[in-house]
Amino acid sequence: MGAFAAILRKDLRLELRSGQSTVALFALSLLILVVLVFALSPDPANRAEASAGALWVAMVFAGMLGATRALLAENENGCMRALATSPIDPAMLYAAKLAAAFIFMTVAEGAAVILVVLFFNLDFGPELLRLVPPVALGTLGFSALATLLAAISGRTRAGDLLLPLLAVPMFVPALIAGVKASAAALSGAELSAMTRWLGVLVAFDVLFVTLGGLLFEHVIGED
Amino acid sequence: MQNFGYLFAAYSIIFALLFFYVMFIWRRQAGLEAELRALEARLKELGQSSSAASANSSRAGQ
Amino acid sequence: MAASSSRDNVAGPSGAKNARGMPALAPWLGVATLVLMVASLFMVFEYVPTEAEQGIVQRIFYFHVPCAWVAFAAFGLVAISGVFYLWLGDQIWDDLGYASAEIGMVFCTLVLITGSLWAKPIWGAWWTWDSRLTTTFILWLLYGGYLMLRAMADDTPEVARFGAVVGIVAALDVPVIIVSVRLWRTIHPAVLVTRQGGHGLEDPRMVATLLVATVAFTVMFAWLLMLRFAQLRLRTRMKELRRKLALAEASAGDL
Repeated sequence: MGAFAAILRKDLRLELRSGQSTVALFALSLLILVVLVFALSPDPANRAEASAGALWVAMVFAGMLGATRALLAENENGCMRALATSPIDPAMLYAAKLAAAFIFMTVAEGAAVILVVLFFNLDFGPELLRLVPPVALGTLGFSALATLLAAISGRTRAGDLLLPLLAVPMFVPALIAGVKASAAALSGAELSAMTRWLGVLVAFDVLFVTLGGLLFEHVIGED
Repeated sequence: MQNFGYLFAAYSIIFALLFFYVMFIWRRQAGLEAELRALEARLKELGQSSSAASANSSRAGQ
Repeated sequence: MAASSSRDNVAGPSGAKNARGMPALAPWLGVATLVLMVASLFMVFEYVPTEAEQGIVQRIFYFHVPCAWVAFAAFGLVAISGVFYLWLGDQIWDDLGYASAEIGMVFCTLVLITGSLWAKPIWGAWWTWDSRLTTTFILWLLYGGYLMLRAMADDTPEVARFGAVVGIVAALDVPVIIVSVRLWRTIHPAVLVTRQGGHGLEDPRMVATLLVATVAFTVMFAWLLMLRFAQLRLRTRMKELRRKLALAEASAGDL
């Protein structure tokens, strides 16, 4: 438990000092949303679907950048090797990395939601609260997936190309469920209407957090 | 026989793709075997020269 | 975790081999494949009756479905090999997984192509986001990711581990993908036409043809797998030889 808190605190403190990753995440989300506004030309009829879609596109692509950079520093400094050979339980290490990624992504998500409301002419109303479960679950799932995969891609050449190639197909079920649930939330549906999608998201999260915890040691070890 | 074209295309592509994959394996095999022979020959060569050298040095050591 | 030396285990797979490392069983599987394929083709084009609704194009189905079965089974094998590799550390499991991934990719590609060629005359569109085709497409992307990883990271010593992890994670993701895609499609039936005629085979000759074709493709998969696997074992053995050679040359230089 102590190791988890220590590593998490280190990552958060590093980020608070430089603010690099958060700014980058925010900037990238903003730009993606701008592109999507022009690309989708949303009209009032499909507003909910378009904005839900845009939000999740921003999540996925900005999230991949964030995950790469979160692990980049460690790989560059040889810090990962030190962490791998230390007596820290790899599952704890994974949990800490996952938590850090989740926190960064959540902050960026919050900003993205505000931007989406502004760009797509939505209301700052109760629908946004119902947006929280799918977005939170999706962010958790994506953080779990990306932390595991970025540890692999960070150690291979052309890793920043490899990460999306691996992550996007694997993320598809959460993407489908998340967009559908978000669109439902934004068009005013009750949470009960979203249960099947939230169920998929929960299953996805449980699967990937578990797999990440179990497999992380194999990914950071050396031969 | 409407749509025969699609049927023909489907089956042709199946066999074409499988054929190409088998060819891919076949051609790789020739290259690998040649390299394997060269490696084994070189190792044998080194084995002989080192045993000759150690025979010389053991003689010289006496 | 297994000691690193066991990852170098290239003592060679058991079983009778010729000098090139090709198992003695291989040519027999090849012959069996040929015989079964010829039998399947005969059944598809001569024996089985034409389906009433779809006409002759429906015959694509008899090879399309076995390809799908092999594609999914091969993917399962990639994952299982991955588990054994991480557990036992023997390179042989990685070679098996990699071979299975390559061959699975071939069959997965065939599913998509034949599916497309079947969809166009029947439903008028080359591609439909029907739940089964969509799931197969995602599988194709997963295969692609795995193979790209192997291609890009081939010189990394840990590539086998990475492959194992990716294979396991992707395979366990597949059930979630299937469920989510199916939910996705049942809510929006507009664009897609859910594929029927998949398992509503009325005539027993159709069932028999499908069965024979499935057996033929399974045997073909086993044959191709054996060939490629033996080849990868050879490659592994050569890496070991090269290492020995480098050592020998270094010590020969010291004399």
